[in-house]
Order: sequence, then C-alpha cells, then structure tokens
Amino acid sequence: MRLGIVRGSVVLNPALASFTGRRLVVVEPVTIANACAKNGCGGGKALVALDELGAAVGQMVAFTEGREASNPFWPAQVAVDAYCALIVDSLQIEPEQGRAGSEV
Amino acid sequence: MFLARVRGTAVATTKHSTLKGCRLLLIQRIEPDGSAAAEPNVAVDWQGAAIGATVIVSTDGDIARARLGNTTPARMVVMGIVDEKSTPVTVDAVSA
Repeated sequence: MRLGIVRGSVVLNPALASFTGRRLVVVEPVTIANACAKNGCGGGKALVALDELGAAVGQMVAFTEGREASNPFWPAQVAVDAYCALIVDSLQIEPEQGRAGSEV
Repeated sequence: MFLARVRGTAVATTKHSTLKGCRLLLIQRIEPDGSAAAEPNVAVDWQGAAIGATVIVSTDGDIARARLGNTTPARMVVMGIVDEKSTPVTVDAVSA
C-alpha cells in the first residue's frame, strides 16, 4: 500500500456494471519527504482509486495496488486496480537520516 | 520481496474490516547502494519490527489472504527482520 492524499472524486456514466454505485477518488501519492514534513503535499503521480470508506478531500489514505485491490469484492471479479484500504489518522515517522535533531 | 527500512507506524480507525488489529508499518524500500525509494509503503507486520529496523517485505498478497481472509486488500507483508546483511558486491570489485 502506498500513502496518498485525496484530491477529488470521479463520476462515471456509463460504466461497467461492477462499477455502478462505487465511489472513485483521485489520490496523489505522498513522498517520504512530504510525509515527514506533514505538509499536506503529495508529490507523486495522481491515480484513481476505488473508495468504500468515504475519504474526504484532503484526507490521507493508504491504497492497495494490483490484483489485491479487487480482493474485497471476492469472489466477484471487478476490474479494480487501486483500492483505498484505510484512512490514516496519524503517522509516527522517524526523522530523516542526515538531519539530526529535525522535528517531525 | 525487497529490503526496506522501517520509518514509522501508521494509525487508522477507518479501515477495511480485515485490517482490524493489524500493525501497520511505514516502510521505505532500500537498494544495495544505500539509496531509498521516494515514496513510502504501508505494510502489515506480524513480526514486531522496530522503527529503524531493516526488514524483508513481500509484495504477494497471498500471505495476507491466508491470515486475514480472502477479501483483504492487504498486499505488502513484513516477512522477517534482517539480522545481518553482507556488503553488496559492486561490478568494479568483481572485474578487479
């Protein structure tokens, strides 16, 4: 799972039957530098993920990519490639090496 | 599988039901030359790895499926904590 910040949502019409009623969000992956700085910035290439948790714009989520993203719909086969698995409440991160004493 | 350094932990109240009770680590993939990936990953940990430890992470979700159920979205799992790692052999050292 990678960390990402929700930047918006996507509405499909028409869509595959397995996607009707599903919520899709645009997430921007977070780099380690931005995660340490806790500045609300992402820094990665944005992607679309399926969300069942109701993540709001600006919230940080962790999303699974690949085949495992469709596991929650097992045994149905859904063409999901990225899935929001959790909404991050807080992160405890050690300071970056080489920057001794920096506050995180 | 890849080597990663544990950078921290993540706490989440709202999450997929299969992830309840799982320890979630923030890990950063590391290369033999010491460089690290720009984007961190979140991995499920059953080994109790401490922050700063080097771990091996598997990207295969089957381990998570076996433990957490078929519907779990978990993919990355900490397989073990690295005890000792040999110094990487560079191409120059081999040809010399």
